[in-house]
Amino acid sequence: MSKTKLYPLKININGVWKKAKVAPEESLLKVLREKLGHTEVKEGCGKGDCGACAVLLNGKPVNACLTLALQADQQKVVTVKGIGTPDRPHPLQESFVKRGAIQCGFCTAGMLVSAKNLLDENPNPSRDEIKKAISGNLCRCTGYKKIIEAIEEAAQKIRQTIYDKR
Amino acid sequence: MNGKDDFKIIGKPIPRHDAWEKAFGLTTYAADFSLPDMLHGKVLRSKYPSAKILSIDTTKAKRLKGVQAVLTAKDVPRNESVTRFGQTHTVGGGFEGLYRVLADNKVHFLGEAVALVAADTEEIALKALDLIKVEYEPIPGVFDPIEAMNPNAPQVQEGRSNIITHYEVVRGDVEKGFSEADVVVENTYRVQFVDHAYMEPESGVAWIDENGVITIRVSTQVIEHFRGIADVLNLPHNRVRVIGTYVGGGFGGKEDITVEAFLALLTYKTGRPVKLTYTREESILSHSKRHPYVMEYKTGAKKDGRLIALKARLVSDAGAYVYLSPWVLLYSMVDAPGPYRIPHVRVDGYTVLTNNTFTSANRGFGAPQVCFAYESQMDELARRLQMDPAEIRKINYLEKGEALATGQVLNHLVALKETTDQVLQVLGEKPLSKGKIRIGRGIASGMTSYGRMIFLHDTSRSHVSIEMDGSVTIRTGVQDIGGGQASSLCQIASEVLGVPLDHIKIYIADTALTPFAGTTTATRQLYMSGNATLIAAQEVRKTLIQKAARMMDLDPERLNLVDREVVDQGGSGKNLPLTEVIKACASDGLPLYHVALFKAPFRTLTQFERIEGDVFPDFTFGTHGVVVAVDEETGKVQVLKIVSCFDVGRAINRLSVEGQIEGGAIYGMGYALTEEVILKEGITLTPSFSEYLLPTSMDLPELETLLIESGDGVGPFGSKGVGEPSVCSVAPAIANAIYDAVGIRINELPLTPERILKALRKEENDENPLSRHR
Amino acid sequence: MEYYRPQHLKRVLQLLGGGKGKAKLIAGGTNVIPDLRGKTIQPDALIDLSHLKSLSYIKEGNKSIRLGALTTIAQMASSKVIKNYAPILSEAAQQLGNPLVRNRATIGGNLSDASPAADTAPPLLALDARIITENATNNKKAIPIDQFFKGPNQTVLKRDEMIKEIIVPKWTSPHIKTAYIKLGLRNSMSISVISMALWIDVEEMFCKQIRIGLGAVAPTPIRALKTEEMVTGKEITPDLIEACGSELKKEVRPITDIRASAEYRREMASVLFKRLIERVTFEQRE
Repeated sequence: MSKTKLYPLKININGVWKKAKVAPEESLLKVLREKLGHTEVKEGCGKGDCGACAVLLNGKPVNACLTLALQADQQKVVTVKGIGTPDRPHPLQESFVKRGAIQCGFCTAGMLVSAKNLLDENPNPSRDEIKKAISGNLCRCTGYKKIIEAIEEAAQKIRQTIYDKR
Repeated sequence: MNGKDDFKIIGKPIPRHDAWEKAFGLTTYAADFSLPDMLHGKVLRSKYPSAKILSIDTTKAKRLKGVQAVLTAKDVPRNESVTRFGQTHTVGGGFEGLYRVLADNKVHFLGEAVALVAADTEEIALKALDLIKVEYEPIPGVFDPIEAMNPNAPQVQEGRSNIITHYEVVRGDVEKGFSEADVVVENTYRVQFVDHAYMEPESGVAWIDENGVITIRVSTQVIEHFRGIADVLNLPHNRVRVIGTYVGGGFGGKEDITVEAFLALLTYKTGRPVKLTYTREESILSHSKRHPYVMEYKTGAKKDGRLIALKARLVSDAGAYVYLSPWVLLYSMVDAPGPYRIPHVRVDGYTVLTNNTFTSANRGFGAPQVCFAYESQMDELARRLQMDPAEIRKINYLEKGEALATGQVLNHLVALKETTDQVLQVLGEKPLSKGKIRIGRGIASGMTSYGRMIFLHDTSRSHVSIEMDGSVTIRTGVQDIGGGQASSLCQIASEVLGVPLDHIKIYIADTALTPFAGTTTATRQLYMSGNATLIAAQEVRKTLIQKAARMMDLDPERLNLVDREVVDQGGSGKNLPLTEVIKACASDGLPLYHVALFKAPFRTLTQFERIEGDVFPDFTFGTHGVVVAVDEETGKVQVLKIVSCFDVGRAINRLSVEGQIEGGAIYGMGYALTEEVILKEGITLTPSFSEYLLPTSMDLPELETLLIESGDGVGPFGSKGVGEPSVCSVAPAIANAIYDAVGIRINELPLTPERILKALRKEENDENPLSRHR
Repeated sequence: MEYYRPQHLKRVLQLLGGGKGKAKLIAGGTNVIPDLRGKTIQPDALIDLSHLKSLSYIKEGNKSIRLGALTTIAQMASSKVIKNYAPILSEAAQQLGNPLVRNRATIGGNLSDASPAADTAPPLLALDARIITENATNNKKAIPIDQFFKGPNQTVLKRDEMIKEIIVPKWTSPHIKTAYIKLGLRNSMSISVISMALWIDVEEMFCKQIRIGLGAVAPTPIRALKTEEMVTGKEITPDLIEACGSELKKEVRPITDIRASAEYRREMASVLFKRLIERVTFEQRE
């Protein structure tokens, strides 16, 4: 078996540029978790069937397991930690906690990434649009209802903030 | 202690402390943890469901650079032991089965562990797996439990019958009962293999600490497997420590040992930390499944709808190892007649070894299977008697003070009439069918125990202490699998001690540091550890109140703890900061902590064949109502609405309770419609989430959750458990709704479009060959 | 393994042509990465197309719309041009996989992968699309889509050849109607049990021309040519629809797999056809 060649990777994660040496076949998920310390991105299936590893790649939610690390070279990646922090929580993070949208929490990081993208593009989504936006993210615990309600509540809060600013 | 309205924390929809960390990506799940110099473990798994192992050659694998250990059965100090599932009381009677760490001379199911590797990187470990040469000789297996019961069938485990267990439940004279029946309904029901499909695959990290203790940080529902793991290594029990992480979903699938024994062996042999995480494929292939059942049901009733006789024969597929199969079957035996008054009952149950993936606990633990059967039977009887399905149930529901077929008397409220009435009210009128889309409504009720079987002599412990500044610490061996197990205990301590939630810290799930709280299974943690925490907090409260009473020169009866103050409720207006009382207690050497032991009722089983008398501490009762749309031409079912109503006793945390019931409804919907681990001659055909189909957000019906709070449960503040009960009656409610929509009954799960269409076509052909062109 | 990330098509084709050893093109990666992980492919080199921005476009011309091979399914799903001129392609794109996959998966990748259940294929078959390919010697070909697939995961593409763009003809007649149905076992993340796309030129129930594209009922996505022939130049009547349904059942060659049996798929071919015809002729009968 030939020795795998490693290639340099430079990637912006949550606003910080990071470097690593990676093999061509290594997924963004593997590199985020194992080489760059971003274990907040979860592996649920490794082949795009569950959405637990969703991150924003240049603003769009994608499965990190279905993206080569090298395909994200020189690009911007946002994980759940880039959405908000305990000091500056995103309205979605607050509403997920307060509406009981989090049980085991393993799908949460990916769920929030999909929801963030939805509200960035459409701060006034219908219930069907919310369901569609998170339809690549499996949740085994909640039955989705409280997640959808949490997204509705965050959307309302965001709209209020936009309105207040005006 | 308090009237319902006086609760400050209990019953409120309070955000869970662990949810904040999860929302910010700060929770360190099992696979998120690493140590310096850590190795990566991998498991070589059998390629055949039934084969002899002629030889295993590990030389090449061992020679590969970066490989630190390659282990086979001969390297395991004690490869075979008896499964104990965390209990400390030996029941006997065939309950404990064989636990084999690595296959030695035979493999019994596809994916059985054959060898272990630890290497410097995951890639090297994977390469090493490829280099292990195993010579197999495939031998005939048996894949159908009914066939496996035949004495001439291939023997799955050497030296033992494939029939693991036979139980019976007998009440009255069933044949006499049928002779008095005006109508008899007889059907055979079949249910499938199901995966738990938690989002977090099995994972853990093990290391040897500075005291030489094998320490395993793992995603598990049962930290008390540490004893079994120590047995595998032939080490004293106190040389193995298990630390439970916040679990990314359990549902019974992390109730048995998963990665722990493998990790312990690899770290023991290499002396280095080791991580082992299953891939999703490996998880589906090799961990336990929900039991498939074949259930023959014969139910007789009088003209007025009163049930008179029930005869049932249950056969469950245990797969290749015993694990919890006898226990699961026992749950089914108790639940098999359903929550109904039936004078004459005979239930026979068998659990049988096959060369399929082994089966064990899965949310509901034997209750959902029989619920599908008994609730389908109830609707069939209603149809035959031209009665309303709710009416026939109401005539027959058990009530408080009445006994199950086993003789166990129900000492607490059975709120089935209430749950059914509430469900029907919220379900509303049936929408009209349009064209080929037919609308139907169905209900189903269920009973599910909470708390373990009382002959397991179940106990839980909790340690509650109050610090000098008035903050509170709870220490208990509870595993938190996402149901809010830990945060509910904080609420209880907060309520009793009058300390705000954010002043309470809980340490959970560490066999070296937290008192044993038993398993997070059997819908038992709120009941068991909730009571233990309640007692511990009450003892601390007593110390504080008594001291304060002396300090304030008041009758202790008048004092209450409210928001970190001792308050006189007798109207003197006096109060005292809690911290002053704590200081005074400390000066007097009074204990500012208490470790409580809560015991479930105990009973010792004297004979195992016939199940008689009390088996469980209590039951949770509830009803599901659903509305479905059935496409007559494609057979596709869309569930439009699920209404769940349960008597939860008392909702300690309304958000958590609703979350369990909503999640349970969708878990049950998946069971009913799309989920099946398909095995063909022992080969898994659904190894990933693109074949094993969980419901998505776009399959979600409207969900309504209704709670009855009778206060009549055996948990803290009169609460009952809901984690497992919430699943049970969903599938039969859907099957009954499909009947209501299109007039066909399917006795086999899942209710796939193809099965429905086939049944529709069959009925058309039977009744009217021209009806296809109507 | 080697990794290349060419910026220009020319370089891609050079790499494909000059390769010693097996090179694998990777675009969105939603098929290639699981294959790499499962070791079902073991290439010597990966040629990453994700930086070929020049092949990511949806362009409207006078007679056709042109899709660059690297256009993502999400771009297609939200494109007004596709919604206007190829609504069935828009629908298929909206139902492919899930939102996360749609943000990565590309039209070129979906077609090159050549799954019998490839979601974009039935509408493209019904729309009579052409696939423009180019090879290492800059030889361009326009392949009608019904000649593109050869078997499960097999196409007519040579080793040094790749899809450059897809051309979807516009139609001018106001009498042309289209419709699409995907039947899956759940409402998102579902692999189709059967999918069907219909393009029909129909006036007052008289069918001038029809094309039926089908997925998951044969080793490749297919056109139902015999059934099409039965309808072409005929008045659409309940009897004809019934007869076509029966013909479709014979014409498809489905297999039994974990999602459905061959018989079920046959049945559904007939049911979906009736539904699609009813949908497109509904206005005619009003």
